Amino acid sequence: MKSGRALALLAAAAAALLWAIPFVWMLLAAFRPNVTGSEDLASLVPTGPFGLANFAEAWTSGHFPLWYLNTILLCAGILAVQCVTVSLAGYAFARLRFPLRETVFTLFLLQILLPPVVLVVPNLTMITQLGLYDSLLGIAAPYCASAFGVFLMRQTFRAIPRDFEDAALTDGATRLQTIRHVLLPLARPGLVAFAIVSVTSHWNEFLWPLMATSSPQRQVLTVGLASFTSGAESGGEWGVIAAGTALVAAPLVVAFVLFQRRFVSSLVFTGLK
Amino acid sequence: MSLKRLFAAGALTVSLGFAHAAQAATDIDFFFPVPVQGKLSNEMQRIVEQFNTAHPEIHVTAVYTGTYDDTNLKTRAGVQAGHPPALTLMSANFIREYAINNDAIPLDDIIVKHGMKPADFLGLFWPALRDNATENGHVYGAPFQNSTPILYYNEAAFKEVGLDPDHPPATWQEWVDAAKKLTKRDGNNVTRYGVEMVTTYDTLGWLVSGYTMSNGGQYFNTAYGGEVYYNDPTTIGAVQFLDDLVHKHKVMPEGVTDANAVANAFFTGRAAMIVNSTGALSFVRDNMKQPFRVAFIPRAMRNAVPIGGASLIIPRGNSPERQEAAWTLIQYLISPEIAGGWSRFTGYFAPRVAAYDLPAMRDFLAKNPDAKVAIDQIAFARPWFATFNTVAVRKALEDQVQAVLSGRIHAPEAMANAQKAADQILRPYVERTALDMPE
Amino acid sequence: MSLAHATAAPAIPMRLRTRHATPVAATAALLLAPSLFFLFAFTYWPIVNVAIRALTEQRFGEPTPHWGSGNFARLFDDPHFAVAACNSAVYALGTILPAIALALAFALALRESSRLASLLRTVVVLPLLIPLVAAASLFVFIFLPGGGLLDHYLAYLGYGATNWLGDPSLALGAIIAITVWKNTGYYMLFFLAGLAGIPEEYHEAARIDGARGLTRFRRITLPLLGPTLAFVGVIALLNALTQIDHVVTMTQGGPSDSTNMLLYYIYQQAEQNSDPGLASAATVLSVGVLLALSAVSLRALEHGLHYES
Repeated sequence: MKSGRALALLAAAAAALLWAIPFVWMLLAAFRPNVTGSEDLASLVPTGPFGLANFAEAWTSGHFPLWYLNTILLCAGILAVQCVTVSLAGYAFARLRFPLRETVFTLFLLQILLPPVVLVVPNLTMITQLGLYDSLLGIAAPYCASAFGVFLMRQTFRAIPRDFEDAALTDGATRLQTIRHVLLPLARPGLVAFAIVSVTSHWNEFLWPLMATSSPQRQVLTVGLASFTSGAESGGEWGVIAAGTALVAAPLVVAFVLFQRRFVSSLVFTGLK
Repeated sequence: MSLKRLFAAGALTVSLGFAHAAQAATDIDFFFPVPVQGKLSNEMQRIVEQFNTAHPEIHVTAVYTGTYDDTNLKTRAGVQAGHPPALTLMSANFIREYAINNDAIPLDDIIVKHGMKPADFLGLFWPALRDNATENGHVYGAPFQNSTPILYYNEAAFKEVGLDPDHPPATWQEWVDAAKKLTKRDGNNVTRYGVEMVTTYDTLGWLVSGYTMSNGGQYFNTAYGGEVYYNDPTTIGAVQFLDDLVHKHKVMPEGVTDANAVANAFFTGRAAMIVNSTGALSFVRDNMKQPFRVAFIPRAMRNAVPIGGASLIIPRGNSPERQEAAWTLIQYLISPEIAGGWSRFTGYFAPRVAAYDLPAMRDFLAKNPDAKVAIDQIAFARPWFATFNTVAVRKALEDQVQAVLSGRIHAPEAMANAQKAADQILRPYVERTALDMPE
Repeated sequence: MSLAHATAAPAIPMRLRTRHATPVAATAALLLAPSLFFLFAFTYWPIVNVAIRALTEQRFGEPTPHWGSGNFARLFDDPHFAVAACNSAVYALGTILPAIALALAFALALRESSRLASLLRTVVVLPLLIPLVAAASLFVFIFLPGGGLLDHYLAYLGYGATNWLGDPSLALGAIIAITVWKNTGYYMLFFLAGLAGIPEEYHEAARIDGARGLTRFRRITLPLLGPTLAFVGVIALLNALTQIDHVVTMTQGGPSDSTNMLLYYIYQQAEQNSDPGLASAATVLSVGVLLALSAVSLRALEHGLHYES
């Protein structure tokens, strides 16, 4: 039995090594100036002078501060609105019995299978008609109702004993007050999990932000990186590309490594990207 | 009219003039693509800053918008959303489409307003460029940067196999012979290809149009955007030539190779000759460690190359003030000094003929003979392929040629397919124009 | 109202009405309103909208649009669409099956809590956290013919340069490889949790009964992983249809349409060819496919989202 386990672990380690290769190359190429056009561009064995020249050039030829700002604003904005919409709706499904409840819930669930990117053609028309084309608000709008967030909050609320809110309601609190002061603090683990998944998924969105914006001032990290690499790629400034990619990938990776357990349990708990 | 009245009128005019100048600066945005970000993009920003300083009544925000295709998409999106850029540096072969769809304004009126005839305006530029800048007799674009494909070749590799670097291949036959000598094999693997060229979307169509024209053909109807000549012997012959390079002479890799791969191959000595735009010349110069030179694209029946590059257009939907400001910027950018400077910096050739009379340019050409090749080739340059729905019609050919390069189909069948697909795309336009009969 | 009251366990088990005695349905409507607004604005109304647009035709030069099924006719006539649909199917199978198999294998091998296992799990999950376009920019280099990472190391084994992204018969495989690399770690997380949910006693009992590893896996583990498998399958399918960032930036549907897919086709018609009729028709079809899947997968979703509780 033991040898079987050890063998499995060894095989997994070998496979994991393969999985790590793109990241390893990215770091190596990013930290080696003048690597473009050199013989050992593809080498995974670190040699030669290391330096930050590629990062400097990536930083100056791209617009990373702008892209970071836009991405942070976008993700924070979406999350803020989502917290409100999913908490309210989640409560309604968890605690209230009203006609057509199951039907409406199914309508919500269906949205999980229709991410905004599939409906990009009509959604573009919609945000243009609302005057939101080429704005961060326009990118954020289709995400503000999150079906799986609603589902998650429903589960979370259901798991909280009714006693707490019943007591509050007896005391004369309105439902809104109950939700805000009693339930949300108790539901924090679920909300945190949702927040992690929401930010991760919107941080990495590409196609919808690409189509919903056109001016470079509205670019988020993903769109900025794509234009950055397409420009530098026509000759292949690989060191700079690697550095730029590292700058885009770094925030979430670092956050993950630091808060690993939280991330993992959130991703699993909520069940969607 | 009494003297008093004259004086009053004069004073009024002068004061109005002052009032105008005292208004807030006109804010305009300028979309521009460049093939390599970083160096070129920064240089454009610098030029625009210079303009802003020299023209305080206008404030230009220069916006790098990616590739030619991306810039096209972004400009069109801006026009349709109602806030177009004031000026765009648009790929020269998209201008016809903008004219057809009325997404850009003809420049005739503004040219005349500033004291010139449209024909004279066009006369400022090399003849080969004029066709892509006009549609239906109206001027739509002011050429700013132009290129042709050229042949880059590795001098050391030439000497190694006994070829004379001073006499690069001038005909297709010489090209094949040279490529065969330059291709190195190690058993079954090729360690160095004789020739590589960029065969991804956009560049492939550009190159094939050149080979077709060199093979005696016209490729597309330069006077009318509804006809292409894919299924003609001249085009089939050009595609057959490429097919042979890959499958018969085996001097070119199979499949589609993009700009990355081609540049990388040239820099690392895995390709002895490459076909790429002159716009990449300064980039190659910076990164190629071995000695290299450039030459005309070899000819079949005649020397012929397509022009590439971009012209300045003013999209529809801008106010008269913005149009005026944009025109001032155009004048600045196409001045011999600026056009010449940009050319020296990038490797594009300057579309403005007068730029080559300036001493700075003459000195530069004396010191950098490789830059002169593109200019000498202008004598053989022909218009860039432009039709109704250019991108789709172009892709109709490119998809087929890519299949040929990958060994899936032969040239005659491929071109028949391409023609059929292209005709279908052009059909709506043709039915409204050439086939639209009077009642 | 004090929180002290709220945290004490009350004696009254019945539901109480609020002092406002508002009808429940009205309260529910109010609470659901924000979500419903966005849901209708950006999911359900767009579906109606795109269906209408798909049935509207306006050719070049025509002054007014009119009803008709011409867009659908053109769609089914378009060889690019047929290729895109075919590629999507191949891509879906090519990404779902290997990713799930690998994810399960990783989960089985790495479910212990040692430091090594934890480290390896992190490595495999990392690709999930970077945007697909970032992965694309790295893989452009990896797949570079001749000088790229893959060819560089394959050369040591005697292989020549291969044009991974430029050969129509290989390009789709390359795209599939990137997706599998990116998503395997994510699916592994679900399998890890699913496996953790299987009580040890089952395995013990089977072991005592003499069942060997493989049999135990087939008879106990796999069936108990059923809900997780179904759930991951649905997620993988959704990803296969919606994740095309790498196609947009690396191959643009080529070479020769070999990486063209449903969503990319829609993007092309909308953005590049300015053909909203065709793009809408293709969208309607894609939505139809996804909604058909929903009938099957809603069950799996509810199960899978449940399994932790």
